[in-house]
Amino acid sequence: MSSQSSADPLSVLPVSEGGTDPAAAPLLQIRGVSRTFRSVDRKVLDDVDLDVAAGEFVSLIGPSGCGKTTLLRIVAGLLSATTGSVSLGGSPSDAPSRDKAMVFQHFNLFPWRTALANAAYGLELQGVGKRERNERALEYLRLFGLEEFAGQYPGELSGGMRQRIGIARALAIEPKVLLMDEPFGALDALTRERLQIELLRICETTHLSVVFVTHSIDEAIFLSDRIVVMGTHPGRVVETFDVDLRRPRWTYDMRAEPSYARIRARVWELLDHEMSGHGGAPG
Amino acid sequence: MSGVKAPEHGAELGLPASGAAAPGPPGRAAAARRGRLTSPWAVRLLSVVVVTTVWELLGRTDPTVASYPSAIASAAVDLIGDGPLLAAFADTLEGLAVGFVIAAVLGVAIGYLMGMFRLVEVALDPYVNALYATPRIALVPLLVLWVGIGFELRVTIVVLSAIFPIIMNVHIGTRNVDRDLVDTGRAFAASRWQLLRTVTIPGSLPYVFAGLRIGTAKALVGIIVAEMTAAATGTGQLLLQFGRYFETDKLFVPIIMLGLLSIVLVEAMYAIERRAMPWRRTER
Repeated sequence: MSSQSSADPLSVLPVSEGGTDPAAAPLLQIRGVSRTFRSVDRKVLDDVDLDVAAGEFVSLIGPSGCGKTTLLRIVAGLLSATTGSVSLGGSPSDAPSRDKAMVFQHFNLFPWRTALANAAYGLELQGVGKRERNERALEYLRLFGLEEFAGQYPGELSGGMRQRIGIARALAIEPKVLLMDEPFGALDALTRERLQIELLRICETTHLSVVFVTHSIDEAIFLSDRIVVMGTHPGRVVETFDVDLRRPRWTYDMRAEPSYARIRARVWELLDHEMSGHGGAPG
Repeated sequence: MSGVKAPEHGAELGLPASGAAAPGPPGRAAAARRGRLTSPWAVRLLSVVVVTTVWELLGRTDPTVASYPSAIASAAVDLIGDGPLLAAFADTLEGLAVGFVIAAVLGVAIGYLMGMFRLVEVALDPYVNALYATPRIALVPLLVLWVGIGFELRVTIVVLSAIFPIIMNVHIGTRNVDRDLVDTGRAFAASRWQLLRTVTIPGSLPYVFAGLRIGTAKALVGIIVAEMTAAATGTGQLLLQFGRYFETDKLFVPIIMLGLLSIVLVEAMYAIERRAMPWRRTER
């Protein structure tokens, strides 16, 4: 992607140790998490348990109102759980911290910061000196081929470029877990596919752990090691699937694989069941 | 819930100027709709020439009532060359500058404190709301008792005129910062002060500048009113004095100077605003 350097820009990324090791204790542990919103007196999340191993890519999929975004915000520390706990790397993690980074559906770039200053935001909060944080942020922009736009404001850039900056901002703090809330939901289909591949390349190089909220079954299958299907009334985990398609997945036609069709049909069936209102009281 | 309850103040609150509300070249779409002018400055000049000529002709019929441009011009030359005009104008400008700086600094600080701390907000909003709408001229007799009729009176009246719209706009600005951007700051583990510095302040700047713009206009009204009602000197006193002796031609000179001053102040505010918020031009 970088035009000036022959070295692979991905080589700047830190590689997590261990990778996927099912025997090790899970990196992220969600235990019995429930959330009730008093104002509506409704349980949006009921007793969710979920483990994410180091280096694992987990997607949360489900109909609107299944609490998948609520769950992600609880993990991020933006919301508190009514009951239950979240721990990261073995210690409780109920507030935002520098080992978690979030990517938002509507990018949430600061319009008053240039692309570079946006990407350097988390480092700035951590007290990293200006020179160093700008150098590090620039490397992450380079990863997405955006170094020449470093000095521009988000208002001058396309949606795809803005979300690349949003991801660069999250990666720049070198988090243990990346939390992504429908990050490609606001993009056009072509941009979305390009970004999916760029994200996968990064994740497979770094063994980064990702929790990814999406509405799209195909996106979930393409990206994930595991798919968590959620249901409504109350929001809960319905079923979890391992996606055993080989990686790297952008190098072959994944859709032609028998297991692709099998997983897709099963997820579709579960979601259809949930959305037909079978999952509880009618909305 | 937010403590912002100001429908009756609505007209006074400067909503942040989106590009369209700013002076200067109108949006391209609007220009296309209204027809394009190749040389707006030529039209402006022509308009001034026509109005001045008509005024000159009509004004000569009864100079005591309306005066006329050539008489005003010669009065201006006289007054500027020798007379109380520049001294009076300097008094006014000095009071305006000192008072406005105090109002801006205090107003912005109080507005942010009200936005950040619920306690400060609840403790102060009765005074802010009451004084915001109280006619400043009602305070003049009291202020004369407290600070006399000199420089201190000017400064005090400017501060009291300008500070409330500044406080209210800054306060409302802190309430209108994009919630998603606040969440973004929090998600990156920003402390309370980091949130203020990196999200609340830049996010509320359009409101801050709207408040300062309105404060400028209010300050100018306040100081002239104070000078006309109580001060011993100043542009306001000069206006009264010329009016009392039917010196209509002289009367127009400070009026025109005040008009020019307000143009300069407004343009200066917009220039500062553009420099302070370079990203605003890039927003769609």
